Amino acid sequence: MKLNIHIPEPTKPIPDIRTGEGLLQWLSTVDHKLIGIMYLCTALLFFVLGFGEALMMRIQLMRPLNNFLSPEAYNQLFTTHGTNMIFLVLTPMLLGFATYSLPLMIGANEMAFPRLNAFSYWIFLLGGLILYASFFAGGMPNVGWFSYAPLSERFFSSTKGVDYWVISLLLMGIGSVGAALNFVVTTLTMRTKGILMNQLPLFVWMVFVNSFLILAAFPVLNAALFMILIDRQFDAHFFVSATGGSPVMWQHLFWGFGHPEVYILALPAFGMVSEVIPVFSRKPIFGYEFIAASSVAIMLLSFGVWAHHMFAVGLGTTFNAFFAASSMLIAVPTGIKIFNWIATMWGGSVQLKTAMLFALALVVNFTIGGLSGVGFSLVPVDWRLTDTYFVVAHIHYVLIGGSLTGGFAAAYYWFPKITGRMLSEKIGKWHFWLYFIGFNCTFFVFHFLGLLGMPRRVYTYPNLPYLGTLNLFSTISACVFGISFILFFWNIFYSLRHGKIPGNNPWNAWTLEWLTSSPPQQKNFEKVPLVRSRRPLWDMLHPENPDWKRENKSKIKT
Amino acid sequence: MGRILNSIHRFFSEMSRSSSPNEDYINKLFLWFLLLSAIIMIIVIVAVLIGAIHYRSKRYQGEPKQITGIKWLEITWTIIPFLILVIFFYFTVRFMKDIDQPVVKDQQADIIITARQWWWEMQYSNYNITTANELHIPVHQKLLIRVESGDVIHDWWVPELGRKIDAIPGTSNYSWLEASDTGEYKGACSEYCGTQHAGMRILVISETKNEFDRWVQEQQKVPSPPVDSVGQRGMRLFSERTCAGCHFISGTVAVSHIGPDLTHLASRKTLISGVLTNTPKNLYLWLQNPQKLKEGSHMPNFILSNNELEALLKYLEDLK
Amino acid sequence: MAVMNKNIILMIFFVGSESFFFLALIISYIYFSRTGGVLSESSHYLDIKRTGIFTIALLSSSITIFLADVSLKRLNRKALKIWLSLTIILGLIFILGQTTEYLKLYKLNFTISKNVFGSAFFTLTGFHGLHVLIGLLVLLIVLIMLMNGKFKTIEHTALSSAAIYWHFVDAVWIVVFSVVYLGALI
Repeated sequence: MKLNIHIPEPTKPIPDIRTGEGLLQWLSTVDHKLIGIMYLCTALLFFVLGFGEALMMRIQLMRPLNNFLSPEAYNQLFTTHGTNMIFLVLTPMLLGFATYSLPLMIGANEMAFPRLNAFSYWIFLLGGLILYASFFAGGMPNVGWFSYAPLSERFFSSTKGVDYWVISLLLMGIGSVGAALNFVVTTLTMRTKGILMNQLPLFVWMVFVNSFLILAAFPVLNAALFMILIDRQFDAHFFVSATGGSPVMWQHLFWGFGHPEVYILALPAFGMVSEVIPVFSRKPIFGYEFIAASSVAIMLLSFGVWAHHMFAVGLGTTFNAFFAASSMLIAVPTGIKIFNWIATMWGGSVQLKTAMLFALALVVNFTIGGLSGVGFSLVPVDWRLTDTYFVVAHIHYVLIGGSLTGGFAAAYYWFPKITGRMLSEKIGKWHFWLYFIGFNCTFFVFHFLGLLGMPRRVYTYPNLPYLGTLNLFSTISACVFGISFILFFWNIFYSLRHGKIPGNNPWNAWTLEWLTSSPPQQKNFEKVPLVRSRRPLWDMLHPENPDWKRENKSKIKT
Repeated sequence: MGRILNSIHRFFSEMSRSSSPNEDYINKLFLWFLLLSAIIMIIVIVAVLIGAIHYRSKRYQGEPKQITGIKWLEITWTIIPFLILVIFFYFTVRFMKDIDQPVVKDQQADIIITARQWWWEMQYSNYNITTANELHIPVHQKLLIRVESGDVIHDWWVPELGRKIDAIPGTSNYSWLEASDTGEYKGACSEYCGTQHAGMRILVISETKNEFDRWVQEQQKVPSPPVDSVGQRGMRLFSERTCAGCHFISGTVAVSHIGPDLTHLASRKTLISGVLTNTPKNLYLWLQNPQKLKEGSHMPNFILSNNELEALLKYLEDLK
Repeated sequence: MAVMNKNIILMIFFVGSESFFFLALIISYIYFSRTGGVLSESSHYLDIKRTGIFTIALLSSSITIFLADVSLKRLNRKALKIWLSLTIILGLIFILGQTTEYLKLYKLNFTISKNVFGSAFFTLTGFHGLHVLIGLLVLLIVLIMLMNGKFKTIEHTALSSAAIYWHFVDAVWIVVFSVVYLGALI
């Protein structure tokens, strides 16, 4: 490929990657749609890696005292698996959908800062590659995705893995902050004529709120990462207790980021289902203001709950009680969302398309994850359950049952818009049911394992009652879970060639991205009509009963 | 049918085993929480199913009535969960205080537990005994334990005996330990601490006062030096082959506290921090190649000849 | 918000995000310098008077960049050049002061690996210094743009955005100076 060829203006909405010109268009693009697609493809790619890592761990844990993996290999795998899934799969998945859809949903032709957008993507990708580069530099990180000091200090982890981990996270943090800045400014300044801040589609609103979380949480992580890097490289003493440092300080800083991070991954997924459920119930979202406000409440509260990860540290009753209260409190706004989604369905005309099924799976599975989360805020219960497989169950119910399931709902919902082809509903239904059953069978038994006394992050376990049986069951279910992903990949592959052509608005949806062609041309919109309500396309299709009349009646500020 | 119910009951009682007042509090709170969760779960699942089945769209159906929200309903499902959580918060704080009763200033801990990569050291301050990986306690006696770490963060956790508590380098954590029944309780390190985190298990043996006193007396004894020639050779090898550089055996030249105290090794039930049962064969295999049985362990492979192994084994097996 | 330019909004949120970075560093500094038990033996390394003088240089650069911004709004390009150059010089003086301070400490064998106070001190002041350097680089670019004939209209927001960043760096220094140097007196 000649690199000095002239880059023409894209003629097709999605350039062909197999030609030199097309490839160069992808590499040099600042178009939010192409960058969004690149984020999503990156997420899929790293997902394959992360799932492979998970499967190897499941094979090792299949029976007690197994010898499939060495302890060192297992520890590297679970560290990389955690980092990979959180930073390299869920984050780009959510950023990808947001980058693609956010400008479209507010009737904008671009992000506020297209070049910053491209920079965010590429620096994020660089971070991801550096994480895996550690494999060739003497071993991947092996201290967990939370890298507790002093285990992550050079004295106890002398390989380069942790350094690579730190630099990788720093770069990805910078990328995320760049993306968040872009979302905030885009939402504030690029809305098409008429959209008020309280008329934003809920997905846009959640991404907007979420961006503030990113802006506040990632710098805290970066500060902590710099400190541990300075410790490791320049012999500083931040987290080395022997020379006056404090390992607990690392925990405060890490969870000061880490807990908001969980909501960073959850909020956009909440936004996705808040788009999907109304469309497939043929009703507006129930309690828009409450869902929107509860997101803000979650955002604010999430900065005051970090120490519920540290109840076993021994920080004292008063301290623990404070964080127990705040952690319980954050369950209230989350519960409000669950009830509102259900109420949206009631009285509607529900169409159980694959996207809707995934959205409903989120409602059910996230409730399980949310409830077990409340369990950890009950300090005495946490003293029993923390750092056991119960937590592993909880985190997977939140991150897979919540974020990833929301991502699949979004994938089935927006795929026609992104590619100009519908995903097959038939394969989609198979995908969904295998996913739902595989997921629940794999991870629900983890609750029992935790209660039976199996600590997390162990490469093997003794042959105690039930442990072997439950682990074997989980491993077999994980294979079923894996098959569901193969179906998804096949569905993409198949539907890109043979999928139905959707037209502009296959779901009869109401937000602005469905106004333009599928896929949109490089310039998203030729002309956007004046928006007067939360559902502009409803107003266009139902001039006799438009939303703006109703909304104005209930005295929404204009 | 009865058998199935029976095995389900066995399964659930396995998960809620408790042998201490502290664990009883935890179990009680967990049970209430489980009930609440089950009720909420049933409500959510039934509501979703009603939505998906009862309100499923019928053919030729027009758009349904466009409802945007009902305010009193929203307020209801904001306030009710809040009130439930207030109740749970009250019991959280109450039980927390019951379990974590305050330690009087300068109160001496009965047992000092030091976690190390990847084993436990226990010191009985009242009896001047040091042992490793196996904790003997008298039943029905409330003991204060002090948990410390010699290297990275570990966590002391014996599920049936109540709360877990982190072992943090540079800090001393206190916790109360009381067993309400005699018996053996298995636990494990519950904070990721490196390569052999999985190989850092705990055995707590709760005994009657008499049995415990007898055990203390045994432990306080200095083991008599071996009388047979093989054992004597083992004792010599123990110092020559630098075992004594890390281990402690009372009454000998081995005075180092880097590795576990081996003074009464043969009296223990398990080896290598609960990974294996203490049999001559397992001890032999361990001495032959520690890295094979516990990869990453800080005990190096000394490449001993069979002869040397036999002698060391004889010596260690007599350390009752 | 409608009247505000998106570059300025971006800079405000960026600076807001950065403040969390410094918040984490400052809290860590306070914690480590107080708990490590080394404050008393280490604080005498700090020369408050000398750093105070360089602080005044940095703080006055906030005034000069404000005047530069005012000059831009009045389209007084000559005054703009003078005030901007003065800002850069004042910033350089501050960096010079910090560099010499570091060199002096290095000679006294007070380094980042000396003790936990050293670690926290050098990390906090070092990251602030890095931000000043980046700010100087940005101002230099703005100055070159100015020399090349940009800023003919007041719509140009490069200078205003840079000024927001520069004020932020100054504000952080006020906190850092109070916590590190004045705090050591207590």
